[in-house]
Amino acid sequence: MIAAIVITAFDLRAALRLRPRLQTLPAALAPLPGTEPLVGSVTGAAEAQGVRPGMRLGEALALCPGLELVEQDPAAAEQAWEEILRRLEDAGFAVEPAEPGTVFFDSKGVERLYGGLEPALKRALAAAGSAWDPRAGAAERRFAALAAANVARPGQALIVSDDRTRSFLAPLPLQLLPLERSRYEELEELGVRTIGQLAGLPGGAVSERLGPDGRRAWGLARGEQDGRISPRAVAQPLHETLEFPEAVGNELTLRRGLGVLLDRLLARPERAGRPPRKIAVWARLVGGASWRRTVTLREPTADPARLRAALSAKLAELPAPALKLRLEVSELAEHTGEQLELVAAEGEVLQGRLREGLRQVRAAVGAGGVSTVVEVAPWSRIPEARALLVPREH
Amino acid sequence: MVTHTRSARTARTARALNAPRPALVESHADGTPRRVNRQDVGVLREEWRVVDRWWTEEPVHRRYFDVVLESGQNTVVYHDDDAGSWFTQRA
Repeated sequence: MIAAIVITAFDLRAALRLRPRLQTLPAALAPLPGTEPLVGSVTGAAEAQGVRPGMRLGEALALCPGLELVEQDPAAAEQAWEEILRRLEDAGFAVEPAEPGTVFFDSKGVERLYGGLEPALKRALAAAGSAWDPRAGAAERRFAALAAANVARPGQALIVSDDRTRSFLAPLPLQLLPLERSRYEELEELGVRTIGQLAGLPGGAVSERLGPDGRRAWGLARGEQDGRISPRAVAQPLHETLEFPEAVGNELTLRRGLGVLLDRLLARPERAGRPPRKIAVWARLVGGASWRRTVTLREPTADPARLRAALSAKLAELPAPALKLRLEVSELAEHTGEQLELVAAEGEVLQGRLREGLRQVRAAVGAGGVSTVVEVAPWSRIPEARALLVPREH
Repeated sequence: MVTHTRSARTARTARALNAPRPALVESHADGTPRRVNRQDVGVLREEWRVVDRWWTEEPVHRRYFDVVLESGQNTVVYHDDDAGSWFTQRA
């Protein structure tokens, strides 16, 4: 079975870790500067007063004048999420994180370890940490597991058997489906409010009205197969931090600091000569907020000058003086060197380059970024029935 | 607490290659396209019908047109006779 662990409003909870008092008060994540003024995740108290995630800031404040706006802390959220994933991995769960606050794993391997599905889910909930109020769901389908986890109570595990999947999904709200916000509104205007109502519509009509995303949501609503779990490769943390005695806003000083961090990072023996492919620059800003930018290198390199050139440009985007600067290697390339070619590459060398290219694409756009075309019915007279795009995991 | 619903959850699934996309088509009385996505049709190169899956609950009745638009763009559109709507697709 596929299991899902969900921590609702994870980004807000992570931002409130240093201010737990606000968790019981009406609070919402503030919009990022320069973005549309929409509130992010909200606390239960704010929701009770009518504030909803994605609502316009003005409307939210009119509904709830005492609403506390919490500054987003993406670095803290990312760090907390990584800690949770590591705890789950340490407990034997091969996890596939979907987004911060949502993770999947296949229960097949751990059921025997923990003596059944339910004890395994309880162990996963304990590994995630009770302070986060995690919820667990398990089903034969990924979406059904996610829906079960979303409707479970904090600390509870909900298991949906395959024959009950459709009847379980039917009364649930449409908002559980991965659709654009405007699509939910469009469907609600048409009187479609539950997953069951959507599943009852003819597929052709849904495709025509809502496009491919709608067709996919319709398939999920009907309990169709929605992909297997591909666990992430466990990465070794590699980072270096520099703490400044006082806040630094001067770009030259920051660049020097970055240079020092880069030299330290490249000297780490764990790197084993492999060049970094993806590097993140992180800063703790004056006032407590955090800032983070990730750089994916087109060509992995351990050349300090090239790395400095790629990373220094990001420092110009720093919105406030920094108290702390950190450099993290998110991903290392597999090879240790590259020979220039004398003759045109072919065979194994060419395959190796292709694999490297695919790894670069994956590093840049995520695991679902590379697909294979699989011919399923090349003789079909219906063009879209001839071939499928199947995501390539390895 | 509730999650921000704007973030679509990821699910890696296989999807159809060359799936049809809705098109804005104005047609003549005989059903041939006159304008496709706000561009006049210059030449109607070819026309054919696809009738398939008539034995299933989702039969396919399509009338395909291979057209060249005024801008010189070559495109294929079809009229779905069941849904009564137009789509573009590489045939």
